[in-house]
Amino acid sequence: MSDATRLSMRDARDAEDNRLLENGEIQLLLSGWVETIRDMCIAKMRGPIGEDVGQAVCERLWRELKAGRHRDGRYPFRVIVYSVIRWVCRGWYEPGWQESELFDLDGAAPDETETVIIDLTLEQFVATLPPGDGEIGALHYLEALEPGEIAERLDKKPNAVYQAISRNKGRLREWLEE
Amino acid sequence: MMVELDTLLDELARRHARGEPLDVEGTLARAGDRADELAPLIEAFLARAPRREPTAESLAFVRSLDEPPLLRARVAKSLKVDDVVDVIVAECELDPEARPKVRRYYQQLEGGMLDPTHVAESVWAAITRVMGRSRTLLSAPSGPAPAAAPMYRADALVVLDEQLVSRAAPEPRQSDIVDALFLGEPAD
Repeated sequence: MSDATRLSMRDARDAEDNRLLENGEIQLLLSGWVETIRDMCIAKMRGPIGEDVGQAVCERLWRELKAGRHRDGRYPFRVIVYSVIRWVCRGWYEPGWQESELFDLDGAAPDETETVIIDLTLEQFVATLPPGDGEIGALHYLEALEPGEIAERLDKKPNAVYQAISRNKGRLREWLEE
Repeated sequence: MMVELDTLLDELARRHARGEPLDVEGTLARAGDRADELAPLIEAFLARAPRREPTAESLAFVRSLDEPPLLRARVAKSLKVDDVVDVIVAECELDPEARPKVRRYYQQLEGGMLDPTHVAESVWAAITRVMGRSRTLLSAPSGPAPAAAPMYRADALVVLDEQLVSRAAPEPRQSDIVDALFLGEPAD
């Protein structure tokens, strides 16, 4: 898979979000983000309170979408989502913040420009791996094959696959730390 | 036993690839005192991983966002109105005879016909406990912000038979206490 293809995968996802936004299919658009929002909020808030925060993020986004915001396509919708997540998580424990701002559509709004547009994708991580390990990484992380299946698919010894997976684990962490 | 962060991330990535729930909470718990180290890595992973297709559950959740939040939370918990009413009556130490009135008020609160800011802390404590959600989320408006201040119609809608009875007794009746709990009126 070429770099251009991988980049186009991300661009295709952004394009699909834009298409849903332009067509007014906002339920479908937001529902595709619900799990990511909830999981990211749980990670940011370090526990189950993230469920509440994630719900608040969805409610805020839903109200904005219903009000017709973000249809100009100025930023990819994912940037809006990450921006609102950060904004809600940051303010959650500030006294009075939830009541005064969270549900006030005309109140203080998150600033999309402060969020760095994330250009990295998991596919790109796999592309950074050395050829042999990369082949195994793609099957392991993108296609979710079991080590035995990978060995069979690539005609490699299971032990070699396990060793590559072990090396890739450390690389994945390093890549996420960048 | 604490699991290596590399392994936890690897497992997370594999669950994602298989389309399974990520169980972020459980993953953080398994990291033990290294959860703070792991959490930003999970965030980075989520930002970079391919977004998954919407599920039936997530679509149903989004569709429910237009419903009043109290109703949404109760349905999500598979609770009946009577279940919530039982908890309010018990935790606010009300007599069983007050139950029908509590039920009516609760239904008005759930339907957005009662000003949530007038409802007593003790009632909210019971509701938030049984719903497992914060008061902010349960009392938030569900639709777009209204053009004008909301007009709560409690006074017009709540025509309770208790109000027709003369108030001869010097002690506050259960019905008056319930009024105070839901309307913020003094129980005298």
